[in-house]
Amino acid sequence: MKKQRQLLATILAGAMLAAVVTGCGAKEEPAPAEAPAETPEESAGDEAEEATETPAEASEEEAAPAEQKGVLMMATTTSTADTGLLDYLAPIFLEDTGWELQWSAVGTGEALKMGENGDVDIVLVHAKASEEEFVEKGFGVERFQVMYNDFVVVGPTEPVAPTDDIESLFKTIQEDQLTFVSRGDDSGTDKKEKGIWKKLELDPAGNPNYLESGQGMGATITMADEKGAYCLTDRGTWLKMKNDADVEIQLDIICEGASDLLNQYGIIAVSPEKYPEVNNEAANAMIEWICSEEVQGLIANYGVDQYGEALFTPNANE
Amino acid sequence: MQLVREMLDAAFSDVGVFDAVCVTFQLAFGATTISSVLGIFLGLLLERARFAGKRVVIRVNRTLMGVPPVVIGLVVYMILMRRGPLGKLNMLFTVQGMILAQVLIITPIICGMTYTSLVSKAPAIRTFARTMGASPMQTQWLVIRELKKELYFAVVTGFGRSISEVGAVMLVGGNIKGHTRTMTTTISLLKSQGIFTEGLTLGVLLLVMAFVIQSLADFFQRGEKTDENY
Amino acid sequence: MRITDLEKKQGDFQMKIDTLVLEKGKIHGIIGGNGCGKTTLCKLIMGILRPDRGTLDYEGLDIRKITMTAQRPYFIQGSVYENICYPLKIRRIRPDEQKIDQWLDRCSLAEKKHQYARSLSSGEQQKVSMIRALIFDPEFVMIDETLSNLDPENLELFEHVIFDIQKERAITWLLISHRLAHIYKMCGELHFMHEGTLLASGGKHEILFENKDDRIRRFVANEVIKMETSV
Repeated sequence: MKKQRQLLATILAGAMLAAVVTGCGAKEEPAPAEAPAETPEESAGDEAEEATETPAEASEEEAAPAEQKGVLMMATTTSTADTGLLDYLAPIFLEDTGWELQWSAVGTGEALKMGENGDVDIVLVHAKASEEEFVEKGFGVERFQVMYNDFVVVGPTEPVAPTDDIESLFKTIQEDQLTFVSRGDDSGTDKKEKGIWKKLELDPAGNPNYLESGQGMGATITMADEKGAYCLTDRGTWLKMKNDADVEIQLDIICEGASDLLNQYGIIAVSPEKYPEVNNEAANAMIEWICSEEVQGLIANYGVDQYGEALFTPNANE
Repeated sequence: MQLVREMLDAAFSDVGVFDAVCVTFQLAFGATTISSVLGIFLGLLLERARFAGKRVVIRVNRTLMGVPPVVIGLVVYMILMRRGPLGKLNMLFTVQGMILAQVLIITPIICGMTYTSLVSKAPAIRTFARTMGASPMQTQWLVIRELKKELYFAVVTGFGRSISEVGAVMLVGGNIKGHTRTMTTTISLLKSQGIFTEGLTLGVLLLVMAFVIQSLADFFQRGEKTDENY
Repeated sequence: MRITDLEKKQGDFQMKIDTLVLEKGKIHGIIGGNGCGKTTLCKLIMGILRPDRGTLDYEGLDIRKITMTAQRPYFIQGSVYENICYPLKIRRIRPDEQKIDQWLDRCSLAEKKHQYARSLSSGEQQKVSMIRALIFDPEFVMIDETLSNLDPENLELFEHVIFDIQKERAITWLLISHRLAHIYKMCGELHFMHEGTLLASGGKHEILFENKDDRIRRFVANEVIKMETSV
């Protein structure tokens, strides 16, 4: 039933997209009331994107649902979804293994919580300490590292010149009370940033211009842009925002390349011992698949066409 | 007050709950007051005025009554952003900006509800006022006085919309801790952190506070009624 | 007052009155079948409706001295007393407590003075609306079926009230009622309306008994038969 609805939403999203593209709204099918409610906005949007990027796969998906084995539900961070990586991988995953990947893109904290509650089959997040705790508590089977991307500090080029010294940058921000927008949502990125402050033994709350947005990465970058402020972001989201946002982002990378700024992603299957109803078969298939040399190669090349550089560096085999 | 702040901040994660409560009510009172004045005025005007396209205006009003707040939030965001038409006002990510967004959401609701109650009840009141020899001003005043209950209900509805709204205040306010974070955006944040129980507690707190304010308002309403031997 | 060339269209209903003269200081009655335009005429005189054409010459009468009571009167939220005071309040006249109490006594409403007006029975409401209309000493009073549903005792009470006022100040009255006996008893002048037009005006004998117009004769005959059967 759920699959059918999902399919219906996909078709609908495709039809609406087609209507917009051809400029004739008249051909829109009336939306069945429950379909959009069942599908979160984000994933409907994702599917629309998917349809633009890979129309061939999308139509195959509609044409041959019989080949599917079932659905793998993933909880992941906003960065993997916002960069479009999952949109890119999902159809290939379906083709290779027969499992349909669906995901809910939330903060790391919430993603792990969804795993703890057995609401998803697998988690793909980036907060090593929390991930290890997740496995230790018995919610996850085993953690596999998949890839990393790196963080960058973006902001106005005045008054701070671009640097590769993250420590001096953070000190300057604190001392000169420069405006800094923090995620403040306990996400992987937020934990990273808090970690740096902690390492430097600084309390950012002492800076009256230190703001906590409590929102996702994209919204936080937009806010930093509006306020002419600094913020810590993962490179993938930054590139995507810089590239795709309607309003040109006027910030630049101020700090990159520091070893403190690496962002390791791990993938963990939710324990079938704890939750027998999870789809462990598909989860294992996903782990094996994403760590395979072929897929690691795909990840290494993702984004090169569009942004001129790769968004993620695979490291499953290190 | 300091005690309340300490109690709240101790009870919840470090998300600035006390400030969020303050912002929520600052926003709700500000937006409801402005919207009530505007909405009731426009409702009165709409009922009195006769012009071509009035039916369209009413239909637009009805549509706006159900406009998704997030759409208004986006529009206000685009107007207030640095490179938007009103970027110079520096109102994005401020409580004033949030009030503006909510005024745009709530005014049509109060206006529509005012208009509806006027259409069904005002003609009889006007006829009566005329037979009593009331002047136009006295007539208008009588209409407002007689529809006090309906207008009060419209205002209360607006207030409820304001404190429960999350989409527009998230976009326009930016959910900045201690500045523009409201109770609803705090709940949204807590949810994104996987802290569901605190989110729920805050939701209950919001409802309780709404209930208290509602009860107070009802109490004053009823106070007048008993004088009239109702 | 004098009405000339009056025209008013309301949906399918068309009102057209060439000349209607309501002589000052007399009790006028309007009769006619349902939907003949009696209430519309009152509303035009009251200024609630605007005529499409024609003139209403009030002959120096202040429109604020005109009042009208409806069959189902409106009451402001508040007590009987507040309702009676309303026309005084808007004229900034201090209510004469004694006078109000006399009125309420005479209408056996003394105990209900502070009751919520909308909780009264319909008969009581009609009595209050009469008091409310008369309390500010109007010069021209239209009574649109307000007295029609009162019991004979109360009807008689208000008939006396009207005669008393008439003896004292001689104001102008315009009564609408389907109770022909009441109209016959009260009015000196009668105006017969039919489908939006004024068919005849004149003294009550002339209209009720001596008129040659078939429509008027039929109306009167029907009303008499109705009265007979209801007794």
